[in-house]
Amino acid sequence: MIKRLTFGQYRGKDSVLHSLDVRIKIIYVVVLGILSFAIKSKFEIIVFSLFMLCIVLLSKMSLNELIKNLMPFYFIFIFLLLMYLIFSRSQIILGLRYIWRFLMLIIISMLLTYTTTIQELISAIEKLSKPLKIFQIKPRNIAVMISVAVRFIPLMFIRFEKTREAMASRLADFRKIMYVKLLVLNLLEKMLKSASDLSDAMHSRLYNEDAESRRIMKLGKNDYISMAVVIMLILIIY
Amino acid sequence: MIKAKNLYFKYEDDFVLKNISLEIKEGSFAAIIGANGSGKTTLAKHFNALLMPAKGEVLVDGIITKKDELNARKKVGFVFQNFEDQLVYSVVEEDIAFGLENLDLNNQDIKKNVYEILKELNISHLAKRNVNTLSMGQKQLVALAGVLAMKPKCIVFDEPTTNLDEKNKKSIMGIIRGLNKKYSMTIILITNVLNDLKYADNVIVLKNGNIIFSDKKSKLRNKILKEARLYD
Repeated sequence: MIKRLTFGQYRGKDSVLHSLDVRIKIIYVVVLGILSFAIKSKFEIIVFSLFMLCIVLLSKMSLNELIKNLMPFYFIFIFLLLMYLIFSRSQIILGLRYIWRFLMLIIISMLLTYTTTIQELISAIEKLSKPLKIFQIKPRNIAVMISVAVRFIPLMFIRFEKTREAMASRLADFRKIMYVKLLVLNLLEKMLKSASDLSDAMHSRLYNEDAESRRIMKLGKNDYISMAVVIMLILIIY
Repeated sequence: MIKAKNLYFKYEDDFVLKNISLEIKEGSFAAIIGANGSGKTTLAKHFNALLMPAKGEVLVDGIITKKDELNARKKVGFVFQNFEDQLVYSVVEEDIAFGLENLDLNNQDIKKNVYEILKELNISHLAKRNVNTLSMGQKQLVALAGVLAMKPKCIVFDEPTTNLDEKNKKSIMGIIRGLNKKYSMTIILITNVLNDLKYADNVIVLKNGNIIFSDKKSKLRNKILKEARLYD
């Protein structure tokens, strides 16, 4: 069960994308995401699609893995296509373009999680949030918040399952709202207790919101080359 | 190492600790035993400055917890009863590094300390594992590693054998004893299992927030245990 609940699909491979600075990768996700929505002409779509194909190849993600990772989204693609076919057949091209954009966004974020560990991501977010210090927002608090969520969300699902089974074994009928309410309240109580325990544990280990992540991040040759390529892509498309 | 002087503590209107005075010497192995709800964990949380007395005071290595909780906390580590909720990060080595980052150590020292502790506890193979995929015994070792990495002078273990099978119980008790014998670390063991007293030098028995016995283990009699509802 836990395997289904882990975040991202990180695979440790020796690829160009794996070697890029995580901060740069996060910025690329934002830039490419915006770019995919700004694209209008067929030429731009072809250029962008070819660019994405090159990135997928550079990440060493196999076709099998790509298809498998996209599996949960096929239903949405088919649903969107059917909606356009039934209600707005004249705008089917527009529909296909939306599906393409959606697909690009998914692949972009998938590549980030495929080539980056959660801890690397968190450290990069912490580093990128440094300017927020002006607004009295502490980057470490953001990083720890994400880490705790990543750590405890799977645990919450496990506890949900255990509580549901325990209630079902004593004949709880979840078609009745009363039992659903009980299940939710029970889970909430457990999670609040866990949060309180975690808070104690963090204080006991001297939680210091001013401490900074010690992970050293330096831009390398590949980062500079990738920046040049992305800038070129932006220039071609605009 | 730890002194409590006329300590009182209350949740809302009820006093759960009443006039507690005790001393735990440096390098000793003390056990605090009592039935459920006797105030053991509440008392132990005072040693780590997680709770502050309503009246009286607690001194950790001469530091009054009310005045300097951070330095008091540095001296005493705490392995919680629900160790699963003690793990902050998803990856074992990152979680062990959490406390060291809070101490503002540099990257090299953090790595060195983490790998030393992993090796010491024979869990180097777990370094890159996701904590959610570990067994209960392994999770407890990771929780202990996170505390040990901070090099405290004293460690409080809150019911460390609960939720563990016989093999893991023996193993964790062996490690706790080793910390006391090999490194002269002060150990405070919170328990309600008589068997866990095996390695303790001194025993403190709590009943309804009062100490009813505090002396060497050899002086502990069945009458006291019966009074504390630990023995039929």
